[in-house]
Amino acid sequence: MSGILVGVLLVCAVALRVWRRRGRRAAGEPRPAGGLGPFSGDVGLVAAREVRERFRARIFRVGTLIILVVVAAAIVIPKVEATKAGPQRVGVVGVLGPRLEKTVVASAESVGASVRFSPEPDQASAERALRAGRLDLVIVDRSKIVVNAAIGASDTSTTALLARAVSQALGDAEAVEAAHLSPSQATALSGARPLPVRSLQPSKPTGAAQTTSVIGLILIFVMLSQYNTWILMGVMEEKSSRVIEVLLAAVRPVRLLAGKVLGIGIVAFAQAALIVCFALVLAEAVGSDLLRGTAPLVVASTLLWLVLGYAFYCWVYAAAGSLAERQDQVQTLAFPLSLPAIFGYIMGLTAAGSQNASLFFKVLAYLPPTAPFAMPVLVGLKVVTWWEFAASAAISLACTVAVARLAGTIYRRAILRTGRRVPLREAFARGAR
Amino acid sequence: MGALLELEGLRRRFGEVTALDGLSFSVPAGQVAGFLGPNGAGKTTAMRAVFGLTDLDEGTVRWNGAPVGQADRRRFGYMPEERGLYPGMVVGEQLEYLGRLHGMRADAARAAAGAWLERLGVADRAQSKVETLSHGNQQRVQLAAALVHDPELLILDEPLAGLDPAGIDTIGGVLAEQARSGRCVLFSSHQLDQVEDLCESVTIIDHGRLVASGRVDDLTTAGERRLVVRVEGDREGAWARGLDGVTVSEVDGGAARLVLSPAVDSDSVLKAAMAAGRVTEFAFRRRRLSEVFREALA
Repeated sequence: MSGILVGVLLVCAVALRVWRRRGRRAAGEPRPAGGLGPFSGDVGLVAAREVRERFRARIFRVGTLIILVVVAAAIVIPKVEATKAGPQRVGVVGVLGPRLEKTVVASAESVGASVRFSPEPDQASAERALRAGRLDLVIVDRSKIVVNAAIGASDTSTTALLARAVSQALGDAEAVEAAHLSPSQATALSGARPLPVRSLQPSKPTGAAQTTSVIGLILIFVMLSQYNTWILMGVMEEKSSRVIEVLLAAVRPVRLLAGKVLGIGIVAFAQAALIVCFALVLAEAVGSDLLRGTAPLVVASTLLWLVLGYAFYCWVYAAAGSLAERQDQVQTLAFPLSLPAIFGYIMGLTAAGSQNASLFFKVLAYLPPTAPFAMPVLVGLKVVTWWEFAASAAISLACTVAVARLAGTIYRRAILRTGRRVPLREAFARGAR
Repeated sequence: MGALLELEGLRRRFGEVTALDGLSFSVPAGQVAGFLGPNGAGKTTAMRAVFGLTDLDEGTVRWNGAPVGQADRRRFGYMPEERGLYPGMVVGEQLEYLGRLHGMRADAARAAAGAWLERLGVADRAQSKVETLSHGNQQRVQLAAALVHDPELLILDEPLAGLDPAGIDTIGGVLAEQARSGRCVLFSSHQLDQVEDLCESVTIIDHGRLVASGRVDDLTTAGERRLVVRVEGDREGAWARGLDGVTVSEVDGGAARLVLSPAVDSDSVLKAAMAAGRVTEFAFRRRRLSEVFREALA
């Protein structure tokens, strides 16, 4: 995963270097002073300033800390809950008998639970224990089952699964008894095994991959929202503080924008890498299964789409920031821009939760604004091939190039119009350099 | 021959407003040049055009005879009218950053930033954030930002606005030093009379057109004679208002500023003043730049 991150950064650095060299050649400019590294020259200086100022900002450090705490909670709490979950406490009013006790234990095992029986003097005291949470389920006189909360058809809690299984098993036992079968017939019936079921589709992902998908989705959404806001606010502040005029006397607009996007991108991925490394180490330390099975693939996919999502959205938000002059204008612009991301995020959560990817959701995985949210979920659900994944990434990269060119034009034309919000029509028209 | 900035036939319209209307003038090296005109005259648009910060409908900006390019602009220093610095960034680092953007190495930029802060009297604020500085100190830092890379051409848009006399003296001294060292220095102001002592030459514009241009001495000594006469007991200068060939251009604190037509003898004016009361002031004055401006438009 870290390898992917480093690889992407290297590709970006090489692409940037080639672009800078071509730009200088086209403009007939001398090579700027400041070393030979890919981040030297004006683009590198602008990027380095962004990195330095972001890392210094208290809000960045506090924000990172909050994200780490949330990630830690997401890893540790399920593990603690799983450890805490003991056997289901089954109250028994009347006599159950060894055979039916065995039946109940077998039923519990069939749903992955264990039971502990607790004799109750009467139904009233058993119900009081149910209400108080001391019991999960009560069997009354071998003839009925009482639970505290009503069990719906979609309830998949352990108590609900156990209640259904015990209800079925005790009903079967009562029917066998009423049929007056011979002991051998009764044994044959009670020993019945369900037929194996084979599915044509691959098996559903493990709970770990599903949870990792959801955590990754939340991470992509939160981090993209944060980085996009940085870009939007950063561009707007440079414009409103007029520092842009001083900068543009020395740097061309597109190179200034490239430096800004690169700098914030470096900070963003450093933060993402820190969070992922922290999650990996913590998950290993507490023995969480969040990163087992197909989950590592989901993590890698999440990181890659975080990079691709940032690459796509950063240009859009930079162009929007150049159109704004004040904070309130930024908020007005930010809301419509965030709608595709919010839509993709909600659709992603729905698909990951239901473990079902509709055709519509699969289409979203090929659209650059929603692909960062849809594709990692499809990876988690194991319903996407490598070439489909690559095709989606290629579409996203191609659209990013187009969006970057368009954003560069808007930025160049809008950044020097001060005093009011610049309508898009004017930004595309002939205007400031 | 020294460096030379030439603006030739600049035209720029913003919708219905004509900001520049065929403006042409040049700024030679070695002298402080004032770029004057009332608010909205087109000064800022012309200065922005030098840095490519606004498109021109027509016209060319030349530096040493060739059209100005991005490489030239890296050797220019600019102080915009709306001050432009990162409010939350430390002063010293900000100057170093701007120096490096103009092509300086890190150590040279750092040294130059320190030297300029020292020269402008704000060295003790090098580690402060810009937003914590007073208006005057922000102005000094802004000037340091324009100077840090040792520019060949210095363009300052309203550098004296809002400054106290000490600030004006400091900045005026720096501009004179820069000009003496052979650089081109152009600064704008809408307060024509305030900058008279700072400039050796001026270009005065209005509605995007050239109104007057030349050396300050030549402009202020040309035209009709000016007399300032103070007569006790007549604070309105009423005694002079009926004199033939004499115009009262203004009365300031009881002193009447008179413009004499060529045929008028100053002795006759003195006699008229003495007849009105005790004369406590009687002196010839040069034309003010505001008068040059008004008379050129008349």
